[in-house]
Amino acid sequence: MFIDKSMTKKVITVETDTTIFEAKEKMEKNNIRHLPVVEKDNTLVGIITDRDIRSAMPSITVTDQDSAKERERIFKLQVKDIMTRNPVAISSTNTLEDALLLIQKMRVGAFPVVDPQGKLKGIISVRDLIRAFINVLGIEEPGTLLCILVEDKIGQIKRIVNAITEENISLGSILVARHWEEGKKAVFPYLLTINVARVKKKLESLGFVLLNPMEWTLDQLPKGE
Amino acid sequence: MKRTGFLYDERFLLHVTGFNHPEAPDRLVAAYRGIAEAGLLSKLTVIRASRPKLKWIEAVHSPKYIWRLEEACILGMNEFDCSDNLMCEDTFETALLAAGGILDTLKLVMEGEIDDAFCAVRPPGHHAEVNRALGFCYFNNVAIAARYLQREWSIERVGIVDFDVHHGNGTQYIFERDPTVFYYSIHEHPSFSYPGTGHEFEKGSGPGHGYTLNSPVLPGKGDKEYKELLERDLFPAFERFKPEVILVSAGFDAHVDDNMSSIKLSTEGFSWIMEKIAEMAEKYSQGRIISILEGGYSLQRLPVLIKNHVEILLRQ
Repeated sequence: MFIDKSMTKKVITVETDTTIFEAKEKMEKNNIRHLPVVEKDNTLVGIITDRDIRSAMPSITVTDQDSAKERERIFKLQVKDIMTRNPVAISSTNTLEDALLLIQKMRVGAFPVVDPQGKLKGIISVRDLIRAFINVLGIEEPGTLLCILVEDKIGQIKRIVNAITEENISLGSILVARHWEEGKKAVFPYLLTINVARVKKKLESLGFVLLNPMEWTLDQLPKGE
Repeated sequence: MKRTGFLYDERFLLHVTGFNHPEAPDRLVAAYRGIAEAGLLSKLTVIRASRPKLKWIEAVHSPKYIWRLEEACILGMNEFDCSDNLMCEDTFETALLAAGGILDTLKLVMEGEIDDAFCAVRPPGHHAEVNRALGFCYFNNVAIAARYLQREWSIERVGIVDFDVHHGNGTQYIFERDPTVFYYSIHEHPSFSYPGTGHEFEKGSGPGHGYTLNSPVLPGKGDKEYKELLERDLFPAFERFKPEVILVSAGFDAHVDDNMSSIKLSTEGFSWIMEKIAEMAEKYSQGRIISILEGGYSLQRLPVLIKNHVEILLRQ
């Protein structure tokens, strides 16, 4: 799962001498929040976000007396004055997992993607990752999610998948949640069927515990990690 | 007492889905028994189905899809589009008759021969999309009915209430851009139930924005939440929309004893919902309600649920 399959390749960029008003317009027009900043030869030199632009704009508390001078200053502002230089960039041979972990670590909304020469190749944003995650979950296909509590030992998923297959049900996806209660995991098969009553009964007869839907959670990672 | 139509035809039993399949002919037998044993048959106008003109099926489904289904039957296939949709050689004909019978029923209502009606049909319809059979459904009966009302009777505002425990993805997709058909659905929350659509934020698109409304209900909830959501969402929406005719996608699988969901509606809860729909029909639609059977799989509960449903239509 390499980045280049999921990233946006037609990147909208600005140059260092673009005014921040032009940059703001570009973001609004394209409904995006990050603009990589490049040299004429497409070498990445920075990134500018909608938040950088908002912080550069006058605050509503500026008085009339200040405002003429302030307006002049802002009109002259260029991308290079407020951009983040040497932004964290990743390579197209990085993986989606790299991007997920890095986004969580760096607390940013998007990464520019560059080649070994530092030339811009694309951009991968939280939105791209969400799209990939929706695909992994398979939730755009009609189906039903189950949640099964299992002992944390080898062979459990095999038994679950066997039971599902014996009922002639197609599997849309299957997720395993860690950090459940001690010695347990939660397994979430997404079944491409409306008809889950019988497979549920079958799983229960095999000794599995079906969790009450109101207790499902995927967010069992320790907070702040 | 109202003049209530009751669409029922033994040929609806010919669509056989195989051993242990929940959408079985016995469902209709149970529905019929509930009505017959309560002595309601003599009070109802019993309607038999006829084959519809193909143009009405094509008002919703693509010709290619219709051919595909017919061909699958001729070839003797036993599964169509997905493993939920098991079939036999009579499935195509049965699905046609179900839709045709509904159109016959609508004609009687529109001509003033009857006031309202319950259509005990199968296969059900609300999951069926333009080009895809899903969730036991082949032709989208309620969508075909709405198109017929629009085109044959120039009805400008059709209101659909879908209380099947599953979201009617097919009906929603078909009308999501159409401001003349208001689609309202109350169902188990899509994260816990098939087909995974019907979120609160799905409200129609383009010119149809605001004419689709979904009320998801969390698992384990029942009468109280249904009342609150219908009062909050459906009643004000229909007060504004003022449907000229109300179509009901009547699924009985939200019942506490039905194992197709974790929703716990009581028998009385179903009656309350239908009474409210009947009240809205009196207010806005000259009493015109055509209720069409969707899901509901508890053979023990279907007789009484359908009997109550029809008694409310009769308003005796």
